[in-house]
Formats: sequence, structure tokens, C-alpha cells
Amino acid sequence: MASVSEMYDVGWEEMRDKLRKWREDNFRNSEQIVDVGEELICEHASKLGDDVWIIYEQVMIAALDCRRDDLALTCLQELRKQFPDSHRVKRLTGMRLEALERYEEANKHYDAILQEDPTNTAARKRKISILKAQGKSAEAIRELNEYLEHLCHYCCWKCQFILALFLETLCANILLYNFHSYGKAAFCLEELMMTNPHNHLYCEQYAEVKYTQGGLENLELSRKYFAQALRLNNRNMRALFGLYMSASHIAASPKVSAKVKKDNVKYAAWAASQINRAYKLAGRGTKENKCSVKAVEEMLESMQITMS
Amino acid sequence: MNISNETKASMASSFWKGVVGVGLFALAHAAFSAAQHRSYMRLTEKENETLPIDIVLQTLLAFVMTCYGIVHIAGEFKDMDASSELKNKTFDTLTNHPSFYLFNHRGRVLFRSPEEVLSERNQQALPNPLRLRKLEH
Repeated sequence: MASVSEMYDVGWEEMRDKLRKWREDNFRNSEQIVDVGEELICEHASKLGDDVWIIYEQVMIAALDCRRDDLALTCLQELRKQFPDSHRVKRLTGMRLEALERYEEANKHYDAILQEDPTNTAARKRKISILKAQGKSAEAIRELNEYLEHLCHYCCWKCQFILALFLETLCANILLYNFHSYGKAAFCLEELMMTNPHNHLYCEQYAEVKYTQGGLENLELSRKYFAQALRLNNRNMRALFGLYMSASHIAASPKVSAKVKKDNVKYAAWAASQINRAYKLAGRGTKENKCSVKAVEEMLESMQITMS
Repeated sequence: MNISNETKASMASSFWKGVVGVGLFALAHAAFSAAQHRSYMRLTEKENETLPIDIVLQTLLAFVMTCYGIVHIAGEFKDMDASSELKNKTFDTLTNHPSFYLFNHRGRVLFRSPEEVLSERNQQALPNPLRLRKLEH
């Protein structure tokens, strides 16, 4: 099998820079990381200097994703040799045990870290992740709330995780129609939007939660937030589709006045034309452009809400 | 002759560093000559005369050159619009939280090596025929 440097004609510096970019932007393309990282540490470890340790960590986590337990163990052993008493390495040991589904041992590891250092946030987060992996979403949510209370400041990603947990609890409880969870998810997203007003993704997720909750008020709110997400980032296709769906949904509802209906039909038409334009621009220069444009129009027509 | 991007970049940055150095030197030179001019004025008791125009020009030009050079060394500029950074980021990367990564996803099954698959299939070989017979009835 050809090596990465042969296939793409890159040198070790470019591979190292690519790994850094993936690390900084939180990419989870584990297969690629394993391919590039494995070659880098096997053949160019001496040239990397101190970067090699953080690359070991990155490759180890990616190897756990790709079930490369041998590679993960190698990286872990190298890190243990270099940093024998480090809590960060202990946390990696715990993560490896989690990947092997040995949750009790992993919990013991994290409890040991927390005994030595009660303020260690990383270990607490891993314990919450273990609860989530075991499916105990309610307990995980409770632990997260306690954790948030301990800290005096709101960090947006913890809120985001609470949101994710709520949405997944909802999927698990879908038969019971546990609508309370959507309200809590909306609350989390509102907090996130307050602290990050320029982030179009939070607006869009909030709009999606409101759309899912349903009901005329929530639909109008969702349409407004989809529009806000588009204002922040006019290339957000999900928000565009969301605007189309929510506007058509409101227009099709029997409880609205004629004026509101007309306005929403206008919004839906605008959204549809923008979607068509985006697909035309994306397909520019390809032979299948005409077919795909027609497919988009048919899809939009089929998505129209009709009252049965 | 092929020059890689890195050497080009380092050559460019050393040019701008040179510009900043020259500008600072010219600024120091102008300051020194202004001080000398002042002491000369004091000696010849002609304190009303203003600084000669060439010193003034040199000061201003050196200042502009230094500023321009520093701007080039200082690194990439960021957009003033706070949301523009996020425009190019996708859902996949922004919703990843590395400290909360879970490993019980289908990757653990999809990436199984062929030997593992065979051994697991052999282990499950016996119960299956019984189950199939139940379905037939």
C-alpha cells in the first residue's frame, strides 16, 4: 500500500501542518488522521521535536475511533514513558478503556484523578461521557447540571452538550412523546445564542427545535430564526430549507389570516428561488446541471404541505 | 530552480524586517541630527530658527516606512465582521466537542479486521439454525 506522502506528493512538514489544522478546527476525520499520523510518527518522529507528543495524543484518539487498538496502545505507551505522572495521560488511559467498553475500570481511573485533583474538569467530562455511552441520559444530564453549578461562568460547549443529551433523550423517548425535553433544549440554545449572537448555527438549531415543537407560534418563531441564521450566513442551506418549510407550513395552516398567508407564500417562494439558484450555481459547468435543477424543483414541489 | 513556498515566505518576511530596521535606523538618525541642530542653534544663539526641512521630511518618511513594514510582519488580518469567520465552517466541525467524544459508535464495528469478523461469525454459527427454524414455523 502506497504511503500518504507518495500518494499525495507531500513532505512531512505539510503532513504536520495538516494535522495541526485538523486539531485546531476539531475535525473528526479519524481514518485520515490515522493514515497521516501513523506515517508521520513511524518515519519522521525525530524531526517533529516537541510536536510529536501532541500528535501521539491526536493519533491515539483517532485510532480508538477506527478500532486500531494496537496503534492506540503504542501511542499511549510512548506518552506514558515520557509523562509518567500526568493526569492528561491518565485521562487518555481512561478513554482507551472506554473505547474497549470497560466502563467500570475507566470510572475508577477518573475517580483516582479526581481524588488527587478535584478541580480536574477533563475527568469530570469523561465521567459524564461514560454515563451517556451507557445510555443513562437522565443521570448524565443531572451530573452536567451539577457541574455547571460548580463553575461560575457559562461555557458554551457544555450547554451544547446538555442540548445534545436532551435531543437524544427525546429520540429515545419518542414513543412517550416527551415534549418537555424540547423545551429544555430550546432553553439551552437560547443561552448559547445569548453568549454567541454572531453564530448562525445556534440560531438555526434553535429554529429547528422550535419547528419540531410545532404549533403556530413556534412555527412563526422558527421562521424568524431561520431568517436570522440566513442573515448571519447567507450560505447556510439548512436555514434556507428551514425557511421554506416553515413558511409553507404557516401558509398551509387553516388558522391564519389571508394577509399572513399571502406573506408566507411570498417568503416560501423567495426561499425556493434561492434554493434553485444555489443548486444552479453549484452545478455550474457539469453536464447533469439540467437534470439536477429539475430534480430540485420536483423536490420542492413534493415538500409542499397540503392539508389532508 | 524551484523555490518552495516556505523559503519564499521567509524571504518576503526578512525583506519587511529589513524595511522596519531601515525605518527605525532613519528615525534614530533624524532624532540625532535634530538634537545636534538644537545644540548648534544654542551655540550660535539663533534659537528662533525652526528645524531644517530635510530632518522633518526624514522623520516623517521613516515613520511611514516603519509602520508599513510592521503591518506586513504582524501576520494575517482578521475580518471585522464577527460572523464571517464562521461562514466557512460546517456543522461537522463546529458541533464536535473533543472533551466529550464517545467511542461506542458504528466505527468500532465497521473497522473490524477480517480475522475478527470470521471468529465472531464462528461463535454465532450454532444458535442461528435454531432461530431460522422458528421463523419457518
